[in-house]
Amino acid sequence: MGVDKPGALGVGTPAFLTTRLDFVVNWARRNSLWPMPFGTACCAIEMMASAASNFDLARFGMERMSFSPRQADVLICAGRVPYKLAPVLRRIWDQMMQPKWCISMGACASSGGVFDVYSMVQGIDTIVPVDVYIPGCPPRPEGLIYGLMMVQEKIRGESLSRHGELRAEDPLAVGRPRADEQEVADLTGPFGNSTHQNRVSGLVETGAIGRPEDRLP
Amino acid sequence: MPDKGSAAPAPDFWSVASGPGRSPEDAPEREGPASVPPGNPTVTALWEQFPDGVRRNRVCAGDEDVVYIDPERVTEILGWLHETPDQQYDHLADVTAVDYGGGRPIEVVYQLWSIPHRAALRVKCELPLDGLEIDSVTGIWVGADWLEREVYDLFGVNFRGHPDLRRILMPEKYAEGHPLRKDFPLRGRFSRAEQTRRALTQDPEDYYMPGEIGERTPQVVGSGADGGDEAVGGDVGGAGAEGGGDGL
Repeated sequence: MGVDKPGALGVGTPAFLTTRLDFVVNWARRNSLWPMPFGTACCAIEMMASAASNFDLARFGMERMSFSPRQADVLICAGRVPYKLAPVLRRIWDQMMQPKWCISMGACASSGGVFDVYSMVQGIDTIVPVDVYIPGCPPRPEGLIYGLMMVQEKIRGESLSRHGELRAEDPLAVGRPRADEQEVADLTGPFGNSTHQNRVSGLVETGAIGRPEDRLP
Repeated sequence: MPDKGSAAPAPDFWSVASGPGRSPEDAPEREGPASVPPGNPTVTALWEQFPDGVRRNRVCAGDEDVVYIDPERVTEILGWLHETPDQQYDHLADVTAVDYGGGRPIEVVYQLWSIPHRAALRVKCELPLDGLEIDSVTGIWVGADWLEREVYDLFGVNFRGHPDLRRILMPEKYAEGHPLRKDFPLRGRFSRAEQTRRALTQDPEDYYMPGEIGERTPQVVGSGADGGDEAVGGDVGGAGAEGGGDGL
């Protein structure tokens, strides 16, 4: 608390001011999180259920689903993201104002889920930084609420004095992958059920045929 | 499938796809029209009208009539089915394709429905893998536009005379090929890192034609059969100019 002199109660010291200011600012931020819903699949149904009366996200200060990224604080990516949608998601994230947070809701957004296929982003953390991953397929509304409360806890621990390092982003990296190439390639190691491919092999020669009995004699 | 007492054993639903020995190429080039009694009178009419254009027919899943026709005469035969008063197949429910793998030809499937006669008909064209070209039927049903784009996108079938043949589902500059082919690897041909990098370097507005977004005049599509591709490509300029190629 920065109380260094007895009797002075620390009034006027920078540490006292910043910690009190942190408390007020973080209290305001975490209780007025406006979500930017990026719902692409069944997780979005649970997200809508979370916002509806039974679970009522408004209790947590998320009264308004902000469908404009410029007025949003937390991006909730609910559902699978194909590569065709990746630049859209990245652009929405880049359009959001600082400070901003990101929740990856569900297995598909977090890791690609069962869609380990040619068209699907294997985890949105290769595209945008993620604060909280919510497991589930889809997660129940309680899961999403718990994830949002974890974001609130994270905000509670933030400090204005350390804000730069917490939220550092390279403006030159806008529109570029967040994770570097090796990081993306190492996401899950070699491909599970394919003997023809791994993630780092790039363009591969493959004789893959759907069923063994389909092979030419 | 119940045996209908035909001379040759009729192929059941899965037999065409089940083994190399029973591929469509092994079947005789032409069978008699009565090899399987068709439930739809259109099949018999097709045999009478186009004895050279119809290759064979069969009944699938109990009561679904399938007619295999010559790919070179697809617009002629489907146009006849559309125009003839006794047929009037005015609803093109779907255009899709099937790749059975193993080097067998890709089948382009036209699922037709006649609203006045309440009759369904499935017309198939077999295209060899080294000649994936067929005439577009957008001149008959305008609704075939996007369906043929989808078949082009996912199977690489070129539709001659299509007014706007470019990818519809995959990204405009997708360079890994045609994903629904049997020889396409499940996770694509590039590494995940390369796929991510390529995805993020795309402009989402590349997916659209001028006029599909913004306030510019919408393009007239589906009006002409010839030269439409060049005209469209010229208007796009850099955005979609390289979109047609699969880059392999």
